[in-house]
Amino acid sequence: MVVVWLLTGAVIGAALAALIVSRHSHRAAEPVTRPDPATEQALRQLRVVADRLQSALDAMPVGVIVADGDGRVIVRNKASDQAGGDTHSEVLVQAAVQHHLRGALRGGQRSQTVELYGPPRRVVIVHAQPLGTDGAVATIEDVTERSRLDSVRTDFVANISHELKTPIGALAVLAETLIDEDDPVLISRLAGKTVNEAHRVAGIIDDLLELSRIELSGDLVVSQCDVGSLVREASSRNSYAAKQREVILRVCEIPQDLTLHADQAQIASALGNLVDNAVKYSEAGGSVTLTAFPESNGVTFTVTDSGIGIPTHDLDRIFERFYRVDRARSRGTGGTGLGLSIVRHVASNHGGAVTVDSREGEGSTFRLHIPDRPLAAADHPSRMRTRP
Amino acid sequence: MMMMNELRKSFHQDLDEVRSELVHLAAFVTESIPRATNILLSGDLEGADYVISSDDEIDARALDLEERCVQILALQSPVAVDLRQILAALRMIAEVERSADLVCNICKAARRIYGHQLDPSLRGIITRMGEQAQQLYIAAIESFVENDAAKAAAIDDMDNYLDALQKQFVQAIFESHAAGNIDLQVAVQLAVVARFYERIGDHAVNIGERVRYVITGWLPEHRGAARYRSRPLGSELDDVTTQPPATNETGA
Repeated sequence: MVVVWLLTGAVIGAALAALIVSRHSHRAAEPVTRPDPATEQALRQLRVVADRLQSALDAMPVGVIVADGDGRVIVRNKASDQAGGDTHSEVLVQAAVQHHLRGALRGGQRSQTVELYGPPRRVVIVHAQPLGTDGAVATIEDVTERSRLDSVRTDFVANISHELKTPIGALAVLAETLIDEDDPVLISRLAGKTVNEAHRVAGIIDDLLELSRIELSGDLVVSQCDVGSLVREASSRNSYAAKQREVILRVCEIPQDLTLHADQAQIASALGNLVDNAVKYSEAGGSVTLTAFPESNGVTFTVTDSGIGIPTHDLDRIFERFYRVDRARSRGTGGTGLGLSIVRHVASNHGGAVTVDSREGEGSTFRLHIPDRPLAAADHPSRMRTRP
Repeated sequence: MMMMNELRKSFHQDLDEVRSELVHLAAFVTESIPRATNILLSGDLEGADYVISSDDEIDARALDLEERCVQILALQSPVAVDLRQILAALRMIAEVERSADLVCNICKAARRIYGHQLDPSLRGIITRMGEQAQQLYIAAIESFVENDAAKAAAIDDMDNYLDALQKQFVQAIFESHAAGNIDLQVAVQLAVVARFYERIGDHAVNIGERVRYVITGWLPEHRGAARYRSRPLGSELDDVTTQPPATNETGA
């Protein structure tokens, strides 16, 4: 809001300067009445002021549009031209701006949140208010990231309590039932279930600890890793689970001498999580394929599965902690909801990135790109430790 | 002379306003296609209600726009390209308005299949159909805004992919039903949804054809019309059409 008020001052200045300059230049164009040197000097100064204010407006990330008393646009900055992204979103944003400018000219502030399904999905706030007695100003602010973070924050609390309370609640109920039970068959079945739930809580705690270790320590223990053995290790660690689920696990040919300077334990953990996920969300008879190849001064690992895929509107959220596409399914797969967060943190610790490409019913491909010799030691001396 | 210029200026201003309002309506439909897909796939009943109720606004604006076109025709009597612009706009308004209805229909179907789980393969193809229908509409708007006949002509080819997706989807419905994953009611609803997407694509193709008509004065139907006219009098086709439709009579 402060930004908007600061803006208003600049905008009024720019609008006035632009108006005066344009009026005077009209007169200057007429051959009969040449302005005297003093007026010319004043005009030049005004132009300088107007240009400076316009450049200041153009440098702002918020779109600004000023209209005169008849609703004609007299000043607009660069950000206001690219407010919508592609053609059709742009049309909708500009229509909202026009609508609210007209409203503001009749008096009163107005604002509207415009949700654009895109793609990409975006949220824009259009705000309009009158400028003195003659004219109005509208601002266009992109709040996509802010609204995403808001939902991440609210969902996180709900998700973490769901993930932690469910197994603990189950443990309590199982234990209560065991107290009054005499039938040995039933007791052994209940005890089995209790052990499963206990393992589940232990798994979540392990993952949470690993995530916070990766997140907080930040120190990378960099060594030269053999990419081939990293991939094969991730595959063999998941081969038992794959066999159980009747999923075929394949490792593509990886160049013999392909190496990478990175934190071996973190990369192994990230790859392990990606393969674990791919196996979990594949159906019997499906396949999971692992590859690694050199790409733009680093190595890209890909894990491709032929599983159930991820709905489009969940794609940008699956790397959040405890985020579940389908809560009902989470107990069936036995995951903790933290695997992909760990992968994302490993990627960002190394200055790399993890991306996903997925289609429901066709499968998903995760790409983990890790740059070689991550973060030049000079930039982050405290974050780097090289193993002797 | 002055008077003439003033009139023309006002005509072009009117025309520009009609064009930008038409683009706005079409942008609204383009935007609501992914929204409807999302509503369908996530069972968002509130969202469905919102889209269905906002159709009234589209209807009202389409009617207003149509009236303005008629007014321009009556008051300004445009000729040549200007006349084609107005005539094409009249046709395009109807296409856009109908597409908005189809988007509503998808939301109504979302209400009817609420609570039923769909196979990932079905969901995947629905997503693809939604994306392709939106791509067609984006191309239609862009060709109209940029007066680009080549882009308008490409929409027809893009529609073939959407048609193929519809066929693939119907096949997937059969498979899902045979596997016992969805009941007959849901299967029928889904088949109808596929048809809605396919029809939205067809309306985008029609808009593209009208864009080409404004620029070149040519319509794909001209090909068929030319074939018809080139047939010699008393040809087979004429015989068939002049004879009473025997099959229909026996059928009734």
